[in-house]
Amino acid sequence: MNDLLEVNDVGKIYKEGAIEVLAVDSVSLSLKRGEVLLIMGPSGSGKTTLLSMMGCILHPTSGSIVVNGSNVTGLKEEHLPAVRKKQFGFVFQTFNLFSSLTAAENVEVVLRLKGFDRNRLKKESLSLLEQVGLGKRTGFYPKDLSGGEKQRVAFARALAGEPPIILADEPTANLDSRNGTEILRMLKEMAELSGKAVAVVSHDPKAEAFAHRVVFMEDGRLKD
Amino acid sequence: MLWLALKTLFHEKVRLFITVIGITVSTVLAITQIGMYFGFMGDATAIIRHTDADIFIVSKNVPNVDFAKPFPEERANRVKAFSDLLWVEKIVLTWGFLKLANGGQEQVQIIGFNPDTGIGKPWRMSAGMAYDVKGGRYMILDKTSESRLGGLVTGSVWELNEKRFRLVGLSDGIKSFTTSPLVFMSYNSAQSLVGNEGQTSFIVAKVKDKERLKSIVRDLQAMMKENDVYTRNGFIYKTVMYWTVQTGMGMAFFLTALLGLMVGGAIVGQTIYANTMEHLKEYGTLKALGADNMDIDIIIFSQTGISAVIGYVTGGAITLLSQNSLEKAGVTIYLSPLILSVLFVMVLLTCLFSAYFSIRKVRRLDPVMVFRG
Repeated sequence: MNDLLEVNDVGKIYKEGAIEVLAVDSVSLSLKRGEVLLIMGPSGSGKTTLLSMMGCILHPTSGSIVVNGSNVTGLKEEHLPAVRKKQFGFVFQTFNLFSSLTAAENVEVVLRLKGFDRNRLKKESLSLLEQVGLGKRTGFYPKDLSGGEKQRVAFARALAGEPPIILADEPTANLDSRNGTEILRMLKEMAELSGKAVAVVSHDPKAEAFAHRVVFMEDGRLKD
Repeated sequence: MLWLALKTLFHEKVRLFITVIGITVSTVLAITQIGMYFGFMGDATAIIRHTDADIFIVSKNVPNVDFAKPFPEERANRVKAFSDLLWVEKIVLTWGFLKLANGGQEQVQIIGFNPDTGIGKPWRMSAGMAYDVKGGRYMILDKTSESRLGGLVTGSVWELNEKRFRLVGLSDGIKSFTTSPLVFMSYNSAQSLVGNEGQTSFIVAKVKDKERLKSIVRDLQAMMKENDVYTRNGFIYKTVMYWTVQTGMGMAFFLTALLGLMVGGAIVGQTIYANTMEHLKEYGTLKALGADNMDIDIIIFSQTGISAVIGYVTGGAITLLSQNSLEKAGVTIYLSPLILSVLFVMVLLTCLFSAYFSIRKVRRLDPVMVFRG
């Protein structure tokens, strides 16, 4: 089985008072090992809602999501953190680093959540930061890092503990062109070398060059 | 997640400082108030606690030990008729005016005791002996009243109710709740000083068998309708309840202490909540990365708990260091390991409770917010 993530006829309706908003409408897709899937579309098309459901952060209103062979749709809220911890790495548009932690400690957070022992924590976090080219900035706090460096720390954090699936939400939106390209290159390289499945939500047209497959969303639906 | 809690807590030193200051002030206020309350109650019951008697017989409706009213001392003979008692003794408690060297005068509380048996004598002496009051107009004053009475030198002569008394000894740290200086003298001297010959304030007795104490008190009460008969603990309770409840003074202390705890709790709650709101996105990220509610609880509760411990230790240390100075100024503060432990638990619980709103906020936080730029 090559599909690490299956999204089957998934829909999401938000209720705002008496009004129901259909954010995602009957979307089906799959994510394979070693693949970078790019989800594109205009603002409000439902890309981020879809990504949230794919990452078990948001419950779908209808349909099912299968992660690494397990149907997670019916899982209770309290069981989802364990699925996220084991299966996913996240890269966010605004980096979302912990301001009181150094670059290395930001990576350590995930390792600690995953129960790594103390001896491996330092070694592993330094190795990951080395991989993303921040070997000499491990002791820096986020406020002392550039946007590109922050996103690399977030990228290293997403790789911590080797999750099989990486989900990235607009990873280049707050970066200049050079840094944006570098992040996309790293995502693709990581997918191809380590066999991880990567889903990227982006507006950035240059992201297409780094994707194995591109899907477009509009009004909550996948466009042919 | 204790690691993350510590990192975040100590990274923001100004916020930690403000939190700790709040808890420290609250702790000082609470410990001082409670310590003062127990100190005052200790003073109020000192005479009862330090008289080695099991039974106190007083005039009807006397509300506390300091407000004793005289009654015929011959009633002691009726008490002595009880074969269950080891001994029976009388103590006089009255008031007088002591003339000072500067021409002024000070109202004093006088305790008259039998120097032969020593029942009712001063229990801590720094000069002379309690027995020295026997056989004449001799008295013992307490060292703590020196600032009000002037230099206390044994052998010096003082005028008490226009009668001359020689100072033969000094007691140490014996204070009354009324704050009037205490004067100890012989039973007979105290009686004649105020012209109350044949009158006493207390009949006190020791039982042979403590198991029978309650039934003896019942029997005595049945026999002595004109008096109230208390066990030692009963009289302590009566006195404490009078000052605490009937005068409302004890409640004032407790309310101030409670106010201190509430102010501390509010400060902690506010700073922790502000901190939580400021780091809401980080909590959301943590949840998205796989942290469950238990992890979040550990972070917030441990940050609050650590702040509470630092604040309490600082506040406790400040109070203990200033205790001596306060006592020199005439304020009795009684602190014991039990009182300090109970107050620590109360401060900790107040702080943890104040963190509840932060916990609730983060528990309800939807991790989807991490995808919103």
